[in-house]
Amino acid sequence: GGAKGNGPTLASAAGSLLETWPTSASSLSSDGYKDLYVYQLDHPTRVLEWTSGKTICVAGFGPDRNEILELHLPPKLFADENKGLCAERDFKVVHGGFSDGPVHRLRHIQGTRCVVTNNGRSSSLQVWDVGDDESDVFRRTSSIEGAAPLAGQAAGERGSQVAAGPSPQPCVLHGALLGHVQLSQLASGDTCYTLETDSSEPLSALQFVSPWVFLACCRNGNLFAVDTRSPSLPPPTPVPPPPEASTDPVHWGMHATAGADVAGCRVARLSSGAEVVVSDLRNPGGPARRALLEVPADGSAGDHLRVSWAPALEDCLAVSGFDGGVQVFSVSTWGPEAREQRALFQHRGHSVLPSERSAPVRTTAHAWHPDRPRTLLSAATDGSVHVWDWVHPGAAQD
Amino acid sequence: MPEIKVTPLGAGQDVGRSCILVSIGGKNIMLDCGMHMGFNDDRRFPDFSYITQNGRLTEFLDCVIISHFHLDHCGALPYMSEMVGYDGPIYMTHPTKAICPILLEDFRKITVDKKGETNFFTSQMIKDCMKKVVPLNLHQTVQVDEELEIKAYYAGHVLGAAMVQIKVGSESVVYTGDYNMTPDRHLGAAWIDKCRPDLLISESTYATTIRDSKRCRERDFLKKVHETVERGGKVLIPVFALGRAQELCILLETFWERMNLKAPIYFSTGMTEKANHYYKLFITWTNQKIRKTFVQRNMFEFKHIKPFDRSYADNPGPMVVFATPGMLHAGQSLQIFKKWAGNEKNMVIMPGYCVQGTIGHKILNGQRKLELEGRSTLEVKLQVEYMSFSAHADAKGIMQLIRMAEPRNMLLVHGEAVKMEFLKGKIEQEFSNIVLTINLKHTFLTYYLEKGTLPDPKKPRTMHGTLIMKENSLRLVSPEQAMKELGLSEHHLRFTCRVQLQDPHSDADTLHRIYMHLKSVLKGYTTQHLPDSMSVMVESIVVKVSSSTEDPNTKVLLLSWSYQDEDLGSFLSTLLKKGLPSVLC
Repeated sequence: GGAKGNGPTLASAAGSLLETWPTSASSLSSDGYKDLYVYQLDHPTRVLEWTSGKTICVAGFGPDRNEILELHLPPKLFADENKGLCAERDFKVVHGGFSDGPVHRLRHIQGTRCVVTNNGRSSSLQVWDVGDDESDVFRRTSSIEGAAPLAGQAAGERGSQVAAGPSPQPCVLHGALLGHVQLSQLASGDTCYTLETDSSEPLSALQFVSPWVFLACCRNGNLFAVDTRSPSLPPPTPVPPPPEASTDPVHWGMHATAGADVAGCRVARLSSGAEVVVSDLRNPGGPARRALLEVPADGSAGDHLRVSWAPALEDCLAVSGFDGGVQVFSVSTWGPEAREQRALFQHRGHSVLPSERSAPVRTTAHAWHPDRPRTLLSAATDGSVHVWDWVHPGAAQD
Repeated sequence: MPEIKVTPLGAGQDVGRSCILVSIGGKNIMLDCGMHMGFNDDRRFPDFSYITQNGRLTEFLDCVIISHFHLDHCGALPYMSEMVGYDGPIYMTHPTKAICPILLEDFRKITVDKKGETNFFTSQMIKDCMKKVVPLNLHQTVQVDEELEIKAYYAGHVLGAAMVQIKVGSESVVYTGDYNMTPDRHLGAAWIDKCRPDLLISESTYATTIRDSKRCRERDFLKKVHETVERGGKVLIPVFALGRAQELCILLETFWERMNLKAPIYFSTGMTEKANHYYKLFITWTNQKIRKTFVQRNMFEFKHIKPFDRSYADNPGPMVVFATPGMLHAGQSLQIFKKWAGNEKNMVIMPGYCVQGTIGHKILNGQRKLELEGRSTLEVKLQVEYMSFSAHADAKGIMQLIRMAEPRNMLLVHGEAVKMEFLKGKIEQEFSNIVLTINLKHTFLTYYLEKGTLPDPKKPRTMHGTLIMKENSLRLVSPEQAMKELGLSEHHLRFTCRVQLQDPHSDADTLHRIYMHLKSVLKGYTTQHLPDSMSVMVESIVVKVSSSTEDPNTKVLLLSWSYQDEDLGSFLSTLLKKGLPSVLC
C-alpha cells in the first residue's frame, strides 16, 4: 500500500525495499510493472518534454551552465511484438546543447524542430533549434523578450510560464503574471496577441486547448478560459474554498485534457495542500469533482508540483512533487465533496533506490507517453529518470 | 616538436573491430588485433597492407598489445602473427593469455568446420601465436626495449581486461580497450592513476548513450526466467564458459535463495570446472566482494546450481540450464535447444552477440523454421529473448576516466564526428586544456603537446582545517598543528621534470634568460633569480640549469615543484619546452 510518510516508518520501509524494489510481492510477475527502465543523468532535470513520439528533452537547472539533451527512448520499449528480440535498453543522446543559465521550463513547438526555454528568473525566452541529421548540437537561434517585471514582483515569480501556441503559425504563449500574457511569433519574436488586463496575479500554468482558446491558471487557483478573438478578460473560475479552514497558504497548478473540442475539455487543478478540483469547461462554475489526495502534503513541495491527465486513458490523472513518487489516480469515482482518495498506482522508485544524495529525493517532473496508455516518464532531484509502464492493479500482467 | 601518430587499421565500416597503430618516439605499436564479426570475407581482418605491402610485419612493429579476450579485439591475432607474419612480442594479461586461445579455437571451429571456410588460421597457428605472448601483471612496468615501456591497468569489463599505458621517453599514450566504470557482481570498476598521458585513446561506441541500470536489466532477466519456470517451462541460457555466465549464475543463485524457489538450475558439464579453475587462478582480477567471501566460501560453488547431465533434458517440469557454447552453433546447448524448441512454454535467453551463420544469429533475427543437418527442419515455438549484459563505459564513464587520467589530448575511435559534436563540446568545456578529436576510420592524425593556461595567482584558496574531537571538546586547528599534536610527520610530494633546450649561451646566461622570460610571463607571481645555486624559483617551483655533457649548447633544465603548485608547475614545464624567445627585454 501507499506509505503515508511519517519519517521513521518510511525510512525503514525504504530500507527493506532497497534490495528488493520493485519486487516485494511473491512473484516478479506481479511487481506492478510491465516495463521498467532506470537511468541516471549527470544532473537533475525539472523538464520532461516530448519532441516526438520517441524523443524527449531534459535540461539541468543548476545556477550556471547546464546541458539540454534530446534523448531517444530505448528501442525495446517500442518493440512490442518483437520485444524479445530487441536487447536495446539504453537512452541515446541524439542532440545536446548548453544553456548559460538554469532551465526551468522547456516547451516543444509542434510542427517545428524548435524548443523554447525559460530560466525561471526572468521573462525572456530562448529559442533553440534542436538539430537534425547533420549535427547533434542544439543551436540558440533567438530570444523573445517578455514584459518587464513589476516592482515588488517576488524573485520566485519572475519566471514565465510557457505554452506552445496553436498551429499552424509557430508561436509561443508566455508570461509570468496574468497581465503580462502575450502570444509571440517564434521566428520574428513579434507579438500577435496580448491579454488586456492590469492584473498582477502570478501565473502557474498556461495551456492552449483549441486554436482560439487558452487557459490561464493563477497561483491562487483562479482559472481563466480566454478566447483570443475577443480581447477582454473573462471572469475567473475560482477554486472552491478548502474543506478545512487552513492557515497555510496554498498555491495551485493546472492541466487540461487535450483535444480539439473545447466543450469536452476537463481541467484539473492541484493545490500544494494536495487538493484536486476537476472542472468541465462546458460548465466551469458548476459542480466539480473534488478530492483530497492521500500523499504527504507538508507544504514542502514548492515549485515541483505537477499534475497531468493521461492522454490515452479515461479519467486518469498523475501527480508528482509531493515526495519521491508519482501517484496515479482515477477520477471516475470522485464526487463533488472533497473526500480522501487513495492512489490507483504509486511509483516509488526514485525514493527507494540507493541515491548518492543524502537529502530526501523529490520528483521534479513526470510525463505521460502521448499514445501508449500506461507509459510514463518521471524525473527526480537526484538526477534519476525512470521510464515505466504500470499495470492496473487487479489486471493480469503480461 | 614531438609527434604521436595514430592510425586505426581497417577496411569496411567502423564498429566491429579494433586494431590501432600508434607511432610514438620512433616506436610502432599495434593495439589490439580484432576480427570484424559481421563479414565473411577478408574484410573481417584489419588491412595490414598499410604497414607493409608484402612481407612480414616483424621489423615494422616493436610490439603488439591485446586488451582482452573478446574476438573483436583478438580475433585476427593468429592470422596476423602466423599468416601475415610477426615474430615479435605480443603482450596481454595472464587471464587474457589463458582464455584467448579457447575462444579463438571455438571460433575457428565454427568458421571452418561449420561454415567450411578455407582462408582461416588453424589450431596449430593459434598455438604458435600464443607462444609469442609475454604476460603482463597489473601496474607493473615492462621494458619492451631500452626506450619503450608499457604498463597495464585494470579495466573491468571482462576477466583480465586491461587499459595500457605506453611510454617512450617523456611521451606517453594510454589505450583503454573496452572498460567499465561501474563494478558488477564479479568484476570491479576500471581504475587508472593521474598519469597524464599526452594522448588518451578511447572507444566511443557507447559514448552517446545513457545506460539503463543494471537493476532493470537483471529484473527483466529474472522476470523472464521466473515466468517461464512458474508455468512449468524450461529455460535454456547458452553461454561461453567464461564471461557473463558467472554474473548470471550469481544473480540466479541470489534470487532463488531470496524467493525460496525449488526448480532446478544446472550448468553444463565441463563449464563449472573450467570457470572455477580460471576464476580461482585469477581471483585477484575479480572484485572485492568475491575475494572477501572466497575465504569462507567459493563464490562459484553454488547451493542451487548443479552440474547437468544429458539425461536431465528429458525430465518433466521446469528447469533452467546454462549450456555451452554460446551461439547455439554446436555441442550441448544446441542439443538441448533441439529438444526444447518445439514447446511454446519454454524459453531460450541469448545473453550476447551471435556470429552470422549460427543458429543463435538466425533465431535472433526472428527465424522460426530452421534447417538442420540431414535436411530436417526444426520449428521454433519456444520464446526467444535477447538480452545484453555487456559492461561498457557510456558518456559519464568517459568523463570519469578523463578526470582520473588527465590526458593532454584525447582521441575517440569508432565514432561518427557529426554525431559527437556535443560530447566533444562537453569534454572540452569541462577539461579546458584538452584537445579532442573524433576519429573517422582511415584518418591520419598527429598530435602535439597542448599549451594549457596560466593559473591565476589571485585564485581564492579554500581554507584547510582539521577538527580535533577530544573528550567532548571540539577544536579547529590548522593541519600542521593537528599533525604536530598527533605526532605525525607531514609528507611532501614533489614533481620533477627535465626539459632540454638548445641555447648557445653559458649556463649563467641561460639562467638569466630563463629568469627574464618567466618574470615577463608570470605577472602576479614573484620570480627569484638565484645564480649561486644555478636556479630560478617561483612559489615552490625550482628551475635548475646545467649543460648536457655531450654538447654544451644543449641545456638541461631540471624543474621540480610541490604538489600544492601542480597547476603552475605543469604550466611552466609546457612553457619551457617551447624554448626561450630570442629577444628578451
